[in-house]
Amino acid sequence: MFVDHLERHPEGKLLDVGPACGENIRFFASRVGKLYVFDLFHRLCQERNRGRSASHIWPDLDYPVGSFEAIQLWDLGDHLEDQELARLVELCILMVKPKGMLMLIAMGEGSDTTLSHSYVIREGFRLQVRSQPDLDLPLHHRHNRDLIATLSPFKLVKSFIYRSGFREFLFQHP
Amino acid sequence: MLKKRKEMENGNSVGSGPSFTEKSFVPGSNPGSSDEKTIIGEQISIEGSILGKENLLIEGSMKGKIELEEHQVIVGSKGQVEAEIHAKDVTISGRMTGNIQALGKVEITRAAEFNGEVRASRISVEDGAYIKAVIELERREEKKKAPSAGKPDLQVASSGSSQEPIALSGGTDKGK
Repeated sequence: MFVDHLERHPEGKLLDVGPACGENIRFFASRVGKLYVFDLFHRLCQERNRGRSASHIWPDLDYPVGSFEAIQLWDLGDHLEDQELARLVELCILMVKPKGMLMLIAMGEGSDTTLSHSYVIREGFRLQVRSQPDLDLPLHHRHNRDLIATLSPFKLVKSFIYRSGFREFLFQHP
Repeated sequence: MLKKRKEMENGNSVGSGPSFTEKSFVPGSNPGSSDEKTIIGEQISIEGSILGKENLLIEGSMKGKIELEEHQVIVGSKGQVEAEIHAKDVTISGRMTGNIQALGKVEITRAAEFNGEVRASRISVEDGAYIKAVIELERREEKKKAPSAGKPDLQVASSGSSQEPIALSGGTDKGK
């Protein structure tokens, strides 16, 4: 559904917040007019290592209002404090065009690793999880109701849970 | 001014020092009419334009414009570049801010920090690289075709098995 949305806007713009993943960059860059990659995982790691919060990142997320057909957040929310995630959602609702999509993944309850992951898009839209050993970030597990409440400026249009526990949510700008 | 010519017998890369040209650039590759490359060494800073017809490796710092349309530009791991690059192929392993236009491939390696725009036919990005970029690839119809299956799926790393996703809901939270 997310890819369908992108392919309906072949000249559109997608924001991918990382971690930078070559396979996904090629996948998305061949489907949209312009792919914006801003590795917020890497930036978050830098700020955490300096003992600073994510609030120092937001000024760099300086894209104009209504820039994107879609935003791909992957599991960034799992590595943010509640107020940081809320701020990110505020920025996303501004950056996404009306009817634009936002994709979010959340790890399962059993996940205890603090390592970040890439979700590499493989044949048949399969996602392969690949650890990013350089990106060690705190993990904040959230229940579906909490996530959906935080993302409430968006409308939830689809959600999946995988047997491995990962959850995938697709939201739409109202 | 930019380089003194020198033939390298062993093909090893060079660390600091003045810029120069070496032979046998990359084994097995022949990116242009010449196998030679110019190296801007670690201790060299350049501001201005570079135009030419051979490959270029930057380990120093460079600010300006680089036009080597039929050749390769490499920003080495020690390189710091703030420039507009027009080249056939571009490899970034150091720090680069600016725009890249490549007729061929752009490679961003794990050590790279890249901030800018890329327009290229192909791109590769290694895990670990930091990028804040706008990427435009030359569109090819076959690349736009959807992969064979239609449903999303998730594979746990290295398990080799895939698992069908279960819909949590069609719009409401019935999961947890």
